[in-house]
Amino acid sequence: MNTQQISTKQISVKRYLPDSSAESYWQQYELPVDDSTSLLDALNHIKEQLDSTLSYRWSCRMAICGSCGVMVNGIPKLGCKTFLRDYEGDIRIEPLSHFPVQRDLVVDMAIFLEHLAAVKPYLIDDNPVKPYDPQAPETYQQSPEQLARYKQFANCINCGLCYSACPQFGLNPEFLGPAAITLAHRYNLDSRDHGKKQRMAELNRHEGVWSCTFVGFCSKVCPKHVDPAAAVNQGKVEAAKHTLIALFKG
Amino acid sequence: MEKLAMNKPSMGKNSTQHKQAFDEPLWWGLFSAGGVCFAVLLPAVILFIAVLLPLGLLPAEALSYERVSSLLFSVPGFLFVGAVVCLPLFHAAHRLRHGMFDISVGNDALNKKLMYGSAALLSTVALGLVVAGMLG
Repeated sequence: MNTQQISTKQISVKRYLPDSSAESYWQQYELPVDDSTSLLDALNHIKEQLDSTLSYRWSCRMAICGSCGVMVNGIPKLGCKTFLRDYEGDIRIEPLSHFPVQRDLVVDMAIFLEHLAAVKPYLIDDNPVKPYDPQAPETYQQSPEQLARYKQFANCINCGLCYSACPQFGLNPEFLGPAAITLAHRYNLDSRDHGKKQRMAELNRHEGVWSCTFVGFCSKVCPKHVDPAAAVNQGKVEAAKHTLIALFKG
Repeated sequence: MEKLAMNKPSMGKNSTQHKQAFDEPLWWGLFSAGGVCFAVLLPAVILFIAVLLPLGLLPAEALSYERVSSLLFSVPGFLFVGAVVCLPLFHAAHRLRHGMFDISVGNDALNKKLMYGSAALLSTVALGLVVAGMLG
């Protein structure tokens, strides 16, 4: 904020302080901005200079940690990747939709983490791990072609923006949701993994891939261009194949 | 929160096994096939039957009664009705079912029966008429 100041802007933040009031309310802040002011810079300015009671999450400032997701004029965004120069007039900041609000802009993401854990988003290898032999170290090997199959889906930073964008998750929080299904798909596509059968049982539920109606907003809001909608719909093809195979095997 | 606990990895695959959506791949498959037919075949059908024919741009005998009945009441006619009537019906039923869920109308289990049931009934009637014409 020490570069040249060119103007002031007003942002409205939805406050929720359960210790003092059961109702949420809007609070306006005027702050100095220049072309490089991100929304996260603005929130930090409010916290440090104007109102120390404001609560929000942040860490890395560069769209890696996925902590600073908020609704900006009703659209899920990362605070660090959103610049105030792109907004005219009042800017309304709310906590991420479809999650319980704990305080101000801080939401409870427990349900997202449960869905994530349910699809086992890690390499599953049936073979027992051999003791490490320094003379002949064995590593997982993967060709660039095998890497390319899943690489895009591996860029997820678990920020939860896609869950706030998904109307189906809003209607039914038991829906596994875009990020969890995408990570399941990412590991299913990985040549080193042998856990697809376990994950398909989760994906092929009504609350798995079949709750998706291909709205596609998840892919629009994803700050890392992961394209969860593509992963979910490829997951539908996989779930259909899984069902057919299960029918023939009995 | 009790139901959410079912999703925890510690519950293993047995808890999810009985919740498998065995019917959804079928509805989704019919929806996908119907979508393709809707997009590819129906515009051509509408162009010929609803635009070119009333405008008199087709030869008068192109869709004469004798010609159309011999085309329709045949195996290709049966496939034609399946592709331009039955599959699009299932496509529409799928969209209506999910649309009703989106605006919270009725409950999904009942909507499923109503929507896919109607599509199946109308498809049976359409295909039944073709078969009746072939036999008659």
